[in-house]
Amino acid sequence: MTLDWSVVPQHAGALLEGAKLTVLLAVVTMLVAIPGGIVLALMRLSSIRALSLAAAAFVELFRNLPLILVIYTAYYILPLATELNFSPLATGIIALSLNVSAYNGETFRAGIASIRKGQSEAAFALGMSHWHTMREIVLPQAIQRVFPVLTSTWVSLFKDTSLVSVISVGELAYVSMRVRSQTFRVLEMLTAMAAVYWLLGYPQAKLSDWVNRRYGVKE
Amino acid sequence: MELDFSPVIASARYLIEGLQLTVLLSLLTILLSALFGGVLGLTRSYGPSWLRWPIVFYIDSMRSIPVLVVLVWTYFALPIITGVVLPPFWAALVALTAHISAFVAEIVRAGVLSVRRGQLNAAHALGMSRWQSIRTIVLPQAIVRMLPAFGSIISITIKDTAIAAVIAVPEFMNRSQTVAGQSFHPIEVFTVAMAVYFLILFPVTRAVDALYGRLAYLGRS
Repeated sequence: MTLDWSVVPQHAGALLEGAKLTVLLAVVTMLVAIPGGIVLALMRLSSIRALSLAAAAFVELFRNLPLILVIYTAYYILPLATELNFSPLATGIIALSLNVSAYNGETFRAGIASIRKGQSEAAFALGMSHWHTMREIVLPQAIQRVFPVLTSTWVSLFKDTSLVSVISVGELAYVSMRVRSQTFRVLEMLTAMAAVYWLLGYPQAKLSDWVNRRYGVKE
Repeated sequence: MELDFSPVIASARYLIEGLQLTVLLSLLTILLSALFGGVLGLTRSYGPSWLRWPIVFYIDSMRSIPVLVVLVWTYFALPIITGVVLPPFWAALVALTAHISAFVAEIVRAGVLSVRRGQLNAAHALGMSRWQSIRTIVLPQAIVRMLPAFGSIISITIKDTAIAAVIAVPEFMNRSQTVAGQSFHPIEVFTVAMAVYFLILFPVTRAVDALYGRLAYLGRS
């Protein structure tokens, strides 16, 4: 077994580009999935039955599918269903957003349900409308309360972005595996890939643990 | 857009074999992870302190690295170090177990810690040994509290086995890809695959949600 680690610094630029795209994928997905989750939660709690059923169906569907299958399916179905050309990057963001929105929907629903009913009743008594109460009283507290859960979801999302490598989005996993097949330095490149994910992911996991300890809801 | 499901029906047998492998891989991963995760979690909570920090490091590292990376590394890079080439199925079993065990260990630790310290002290005061009091006082209460979270692990494991398709384990996801590619009917094939995964996973998550509801009151001490 001869190892040649110089392949890693030689391709450091490519790894860095891949890591940047990994971060971008996670950030954009979260920016879509937070409003997406809030909308799903509000639909789910709505008194209009069609809306709450639609939101429940969406959440249950995407909670119960392997993400990698959603990514493949989006890759084949999106262009045919819409007759538009989606780049792999856009397809990856859409698939990740569907998945994370479903999880965030459940998170926000629990957060909204945890705000005592007396608060919205008091707001109604002061003459505030349903929507006004939700926006001014309930949602700000609910979002604050679910923040630790969102950080855990973020940590999962950051790792899940690696799955879009299967539709050749040039993020960290894809770039590392491409260099591996070009240079045949399998052990070196795959270890470098794991190391970069570890360097990025470890502090995030620790930070999320801290946020959960510090701000998590306790009984 | 015309849908034609005949390729799925023609390959039904091939796909069902894949499904059987998905179920087998999930079951073995869950069993082994429960075992290793249990040992890791208990050692972290009660073991000698010199063993604790390597376990914490292992658990936190597994929580920071994507399961895809663990799978690919185990299948392609590990044989270079060990000289032993594992077939895809066994590589996937090793990688998934290594990954899921870390999450099980966290659940075990949380469950064990949720039993108040005073109970252990009381057991010691009655002259019970350390292991005896953990086994007969702490664990029976902790296991009940761990059940819902462990149920979530089952559904996560089933979903994660689909990623083993990347290292060519001929399980359901991998076989669906093959049929999709050969038949030129990816939409129909993947739609059926989604329906199959949903039909397996939905009852599991429903049962877990019900378990949360049933057992929540036992969580208070």
